[in-house]
Amino acid sequence: MLHIKIPTRREVIEKAKAEGKKIAAVYPIHYPRELFRAFNIQPIEVWGPPKTDTKKANAHLQSYICSVVQSGLAFYLEGGINVADIIVVPHSCDSLQGLGSIYKDFIKPKQELITIYLPREKNRENVEFLSKELKRIYKQLAEFTHFEPDREKLLEEIKKEEEIDVLVAKFYKSRENLPLSSREFYTILRAREYLPVELFKNILNYALLHSSSGKLKKTGIVISGLLPEPMEILDVIDEMDGFVALDDMACCMRRVYGEGSADDPFERMAERIVNSTPDPTKGSSVDERADFLKSLIDISGAKGVVFYNVKFCEPEYFYHPLLKDKLNESGIKSIVIETDINEPISQQTITRIKAFIEMLKEESRWA
Amino acid sequence: MGLKENIKYLFSYKLIGESLIKLNTKKSYKNFKPPKNWRTDILAPPLKTGVFTKEIITRHYLEGRYVNGVKPVAWVTSGAPIEILKALGFYILYPENHGALCGARKVALEISEEAEKRGYSIDICSYARTDIGSTLSKKTPVGRLPKPDLLLCCTNICQTVLYWYRVLAEYYKVPLIVIDTPFVYDEAREHDIEYVKKQLEASIEVSERVAGKSLSFSKLKEVVRLSKMAAELWLEIMNANKNKPAPISVFDQFIHMAPIVEKRGDSETVDFYSKMLDEINDRIKNGIGAVKNERKRVLWDNLPIWYKLKFLSEFLAENGVSVVASTYTNAWGELAPMMDIERPIESMARTYIYPILNRGTGHKLKTMETMVKEFELDGAILHSDRSCKPYSVGQMDQRIKLLNELGVAALLLEADHSDPRAFADEQVISRLKAFVEMMD
Repeated sequence: MLHIKIPTRREVIEKAKAEGKKIAAVYPIHYPRELFRAFNIQPIEVWGPPKTDTKKANAHLQSYICSVVQSGLAFYLEGGINVADIIVVPHSCDSLQGLGSIYKDFIKPKQELITIYLPREKNRENVEFLSKELKRIYKQLAEFTHFEPDREKLLEEIKKEEEIDVLVAKFYKSRENLPLSSREFYTILRAREYLPVELFKNILNYALLHSSSGKLKKTGIVISGLLPEPMEILDVIDEMDGFVALDDMACCMRRVYGEGSADDPFERMAERIVNSTPDPTKGSSVDERADFLKSLIDISGAKGVVFYNVKFCEPEYFYHPLLKDKLNESGIKSIVIETDINEPISQQTITRIKAFIEMLKEESRWA
Repeated sequence: MGLKENIKYLFSYKLIGESLIKLNTKKSYKNFKPPKNWRTDILAPPLKTGVFTKEIITRHYLEGRYVNGVKPVAWVTSGAPIEILKALGFYILYPENHGALCGARKVALEISEEAEKRGYSIDICSYARTDIGSTLSKKTPVGRLPKPDLLLCCTNICQTVLYWYRVLAEYYKVPLIVIDTPFVYDEAREHDIEYVKKQLEASIEVSERVAGKSLSFSKLKEVVRLSKMAAELWLEIMNANKNKPAPISVFDQFIHMAPIVEKRGDSETVDFYSKMLDEINDRIKNGIGAVKNERKRVLWDNLPIWYKLKFLSEFLAENGVSVVASTYTNAWGELAPMMDIERPIESMARTYIYPILNRGTGHKLKTMETMVKEFELDGAILHSDRSCKPYSVGQMDQRIKLLNELGVAALLLEADHSDPRAFADEQVISRLKAFVEMMD
């Protein structure tokens, strides 16, 4: 266990405001953090938040919309986003598309609303499209802030994010050598959702100082889905002498972008997002996703995959049966668990996860 | 193309099947009378030209049984730009229409359970479940569906199709073309149009490879011309309902829209809608309304509830309510003016980015408001469709606006387009009764 003091979202916002920064409340999933930072804007991501009372959102969204979007809207309606100057809604799925549209057409928030359309497949044309889309957003931000960061400033911020991505990859690689529970590990990782870049870098570096040669003697799990909420799931895994060795989650690994190659800052930001790891919201092929999961298992030595799915999340749902088959063909066991980020993890879910880890342990013993 | 398949196709479909169907249509047309259980006390008889709807669709699915090995087969999403495929001679199947047909024939549940048994969640679109269930079990009410040689998925109706077609690509191991259409919050930007245009251009090479021939641009222009003509006629048919009483109910439109979706770009579709328009104009001339005692006129928003068309149509007609306009059926006509025969690819890029489902919630409200005024409506039924999030999200705000700003009664009706488990008869009846009372 490490004693790391991670500032809360509220503390970060207060400090950023005191420094004259603007705040952008950003909905999931992909967006260029560096573009906002270049405008002296602090992005604060809104993944729910979990355990929100969604009653107010029920006036705008039907009950079959996922809890991440329900909570995201309820949080706004409760005043949770009042502090933000900008609201950013990336086009990740039909529900977030709808949320962006409801904001624009009906709720009409006082904040500047920015929507981002993200292309689907990995190719040159899509990089070109996204770079034009990012130029459009640059113009919108410039009009809003009355400030136009130059090419050097943009490249400087891109470089910082690229360095952080390398550091996050190192953090993942050191997972087994870090004296951290799964909850602690993901609390640190997910602090990227709202921390200023330098502060996050310091925290990661500090944590990495404690990396040792001794490895965790536990059963590794790969977790796949949107986000590890409620976080109790991580405690359940640890209680069973397991740990999350690597993940394929929208809030974490799927946003560890590679280095761009273009000199043009917009193209470089676009390259990073377009070429990111397989992602259901981008409509990646089943094979791409299966190969990626298998590679996570190979790298980490994990024994199985937990698909931890937020109820009503269609992008994730479609892939599960085929991914399970493909993993099974490679001798990798997996389980699908359904969750609602606003509800406590059920006893039935706990029992299923425990039984799954127990089974993996048994298999390892006999292997 | 195999000789055996060609002979079978010619013999079973062209020679016997098609002839029998046409003969049957001729007979049905000549001796036309409403089905025995048709409520002639409250509804006008069905359109006589409706026998051609049945013929076109029956022939389409019958051809599908024998088409593999004879023509290249493409499975496409309902709003996809099919003109290129059509010009290359593809047989085109719409899994969503097949899903609708399964819904209307009340077999969607049984087929989608095949997908659910394989782990597909009950919370994914019921069309997708029906299609995947049919792929896995081969169950279909049309005998047999042809295997695809190519998949074409266009995201202008939803993102769901993207994941759904990834699953199909995995099962059928055939190329998948994705035409990704940026969502239009206000107006499409130039880089959005350019992005779609480039994808359309790139799709030509893949389609040509699968078809084994080159695209003829003169043929493409001809397909675009026919597609545009059919869509314009369809729009005219829908606009005929501005007359009082309305000559064709939206429930009838749901049935007769099949050719504009499935057979766009064919000359027979143009002929069919011309005939239908003539019959509708006759009705207008003779003052025949689809609902005999049309007291109230309402709008339908979102997809139909396929397994309850008769139930809803009769309940509303009993109460003198005619459903005369629909944002859904309108979607296949409203973009017709955008098609430019001389610049097919560019105009397709522009046209296919603008379907109502790819536009903001405010645009849909404006469309409904326009319909309320132009069709002189008293109310709106907004089907909150569990299976169609992009169509349904925004309806709660739209309902309030219709109610408060236009002063029309507006009902949010929770159901699902194909899955009957999401429909409770008694609850729906009591909600509809309250809705009718609100209009009185």
